[in-house]
Amino acid sequence: MHRLEFIGRFARNRGALIGAVLILVVALMALLAPLFFPVDPLRIVGQPELWPGEDPDFPLGTDSLGRDMLSMIVHGARATLLIGLFASAVATLIGVGVGATAGYFGGWIDEIAMRAAELFQTIPNLIFVLTIVVILGSTLTNIVIAIGIVSWTPIARMTRAEFLSLRDREFVQACRAMGMGDLKIIVAEILPNALPPVIVLSSLVVAGAILFESAVSFLGLGDPNVASWGRLVGDGRLLIRSSWYICAIPGVAIMITVLCLNLIGDGLNDALNPKLRDR
Amino acid sequence: MAGELASPTASPRITRGSSRRVAAFRLLRRRLIQAVPLMLGVVVINFVLIQLAPGSFLELMTAENQVSDPATIALLRKTYGLDDPVWLQLLKYIWALMRFDFGFSYRQNIPVIDAISVHLPATLLLMISSITLALAVGIAAGVVASMKVRTFWDTLVSVVAMFFFAAPGFWLGIMLIVLFSVKLGWLPVGGMATIGGASSGFTAVLDILHHLLLPTLALGLFYAAIYTRVMRSSMLEVAQLDFVRTARAKGLSRNRVTISHVLRNALLPVVTILGVQMGTVLAGSVVIESVFSWPGVGSLLFDSVSSRNYPVVLGIMVLGSLVVIAANIAVDLVYMWLDPRIEIR
Repeated sequence: MHRLEFIGRFARNRGALIGAVLILVVALMALLAPLFFPVDPLRIVGQPELWPGEDPDFPLGTDSLGRDMLSMIVHGARATLLIGLFASAVATLIGVGVGATAGYFGGWIDEIAMRAAELFQTIPNLIFVLTIVVILGSTLTNIVIAIGIVSWTPIARMTRAEFLSLRDREFVQACRAMGMGDLKIIVAEILPNALPPVIVLSSLVVAGAILFESAVSFLGLGDPNVASWGRLVGDGRLLIRSSWYICAIPGVAIMITVLCLNLIGDGLNDALNPKLRDR
Repeated sequence: MAGELASPTASPRITRGSSRRVAAFRLLRRRLIQAVPLMLGVVVINFVLIQLAPGSFLELMTAENQVSDPATIALLRKTYGLDDPVWLQLLKYIWALMRFDFGFSYRQNIPVIDAISVHLPATLLLMISSITLALAVGIAAGVVASMKVRTFWDTLVSVVAMFFFAAPGFWLGIMLIVLFSVKLGWLPVGGMATIGGASSGFTAVLDILHHLLLPTLALGLFYAAIYTRVMRSSMLEVAQLDFVRTARAKGLSRNRVTISHVLRNALLPVVTILGVQMGTVLAGSVVIESVFSWPGVGSLLFDSVSSRNYPVVLGIMVLGSLVVIAANIAVDLVYMWLDPRIEIR
C-alpha cells in the first residue's frame, strides 16, 4: 500500500484526526510536565479543596491536601501513558510470538497455543491482574507485566490469522525453496506483511491497558510512588459530597485519552481496509 | 417459530426438535470435556503464582493472619505439603480443589469455599442485570442506528457509544453517585439493602432493585456501548445479504424484514462477543462492587487483597474461571438455538 495514500485516508477521517491531535497534546504534556510544573506535583502548595476557577493560581483547583490538581493531572499523564505503552508492548511481544508460532507451524503447536489463549481469556482479567500484583508486589514492573499477560490474546489471534493466510503464499514458498530457515522466514518475510493490522490492534490495547491500570490504582493497589490518574480518582473518592471535582477531573482525563486512542485505532482500521469503511 | 426464521431448512418440523435436542446434548458433552484441561490450566497458573510468591507462602499467610500457634503451623505445613517435592504439591493441590477444598480463611474463620459462596449470589445478580441492560440498550441502539444510517440519530448513537466505551466504570459509578445520590437524592449511595428495612417479601425485592440500579448502569453501559457498535455494523452487513433482498422482493415491508429477518441473524456476533467477554464482566464487577459497597465476590476479593488473604484470592480466581466456563457453555447453547446451521466445534 502506498504510504501517502494511507495517510490521506487516515486524515480524511475526522474523528481519527481529532484523536491523533489530542493524543499528541497529551503526550507533549507528559513529556514537558517538568518544564511547566517543576515543583513536585505531590507537594502542598495552597489551601485544600479549592474549586476549579476559585483561585487563578490553580485553574483546576486543589485536592483535599492542597495540592495543585492541574500539576497532578499533567504529571499523571506521564505515568498513565507510559504504563499503557509498556503494557501494550508486553502484550504485543507475547501475542505476536505466540500467534506467529501457532500460525506458521500449525498442527499441535497451534492447538496448544490456542488452548492457552482460551485459558487466559477464561480467567477474569482484572482478578488475574490483582492476584498477580498482590502476590508479587505492587511495583510498576509487576503491574505492567500483569496487564500485558491478560491482554495478549487478541493480538495472538490476529497474528495467527495473518500468518495462516500468508504462510503458503508464493513468496514464502520461494524462500523455503531457497533453503531459508523457519525463524528467518517468520521474522523477515511474513512478519512485516502481517504487522499492520496487529499494530492497529495494539493501539487499542494501549487504551485497554490504561483502563486496567486506572482500575488497579483506583483500588489502591498501584505503585505507591506513581500518581497516575486512576489513583487521583481513588484519592478523591471520600470527598464526593463536598468536592466531587477531585474525582471528576482525572476521570475526564482518562476518558479523553482512551477515547482518542480508540478513535485512532478506528481510523487506522478504516484506512487499512477502505472497503469496510461504510459498515 | 424460532427455527424457520433463521434459515430455510428442508427438514420436517417433527424431527427437527428432537435432532436439535440431541445436538445440544452433544455440544454440552463436548464443552464439558473441553472444560477439564481449561480448569487444569487455571489451577496450574494458580499454583505457579503461589510458588512465585516471595518468601514462604505459609509464612506470609500466618504472619498476616496472626497465627503463631506452632501446632497450627505444623498442621498447615502438612496440609499444604510444603515438605513434599513440587510435582507432588501440585497433584495434592489439584486433588484438594477437586473436592472443593480451597483452604481455610483465618480472617473470617470459615472455609474459603463458604466465604466465596456467601458472596457469589450478589455478584451473579449484578452480572446478570448488567448484561441484560447492556443487551437491551445495545441491541436497540444498534438497530436504530443501522435503520437510520448516516443520519443525525446514527451519529448521536455512535458518539454516545464512543464516550461510554472510553469511560472507566469506577469513575462512571462515582459520577452517577454524585448526580443521583448526593445531588438529587433519588438513589442510595451503596450497599444492597436498606439497613433495618424489610427482609423478605415484595418491599425487600424492590429495595434490592433500588440499590441495584446504579451499579448496573456503571457496569452495563460500557458493554452496551460495545454491543451498539457491533450490532450496528452487523445489521448493516446482514441487510446486504441475498436472502434479505429475496424477502423484500416477496413484498414484505422494510420494517418487517428488518425485525424478523435481519435482526435475528445480526444477533450472532453480539452473542459471540458476549461469550468472549463473560470473564471481563465478572472482573469489572470487582471494581464496581468496591465503588458501591455491593456485598459480592468483588468486595470479598478487595478485602482479601488488602489483607493478603491468599487462599481467598486464589479461590476466587478458580471459581471465577469456573463461572466464566459455565456462562460460555450457556452462550454456546443460545448461539445454537439462534443459528441451527452452525455446528459449534
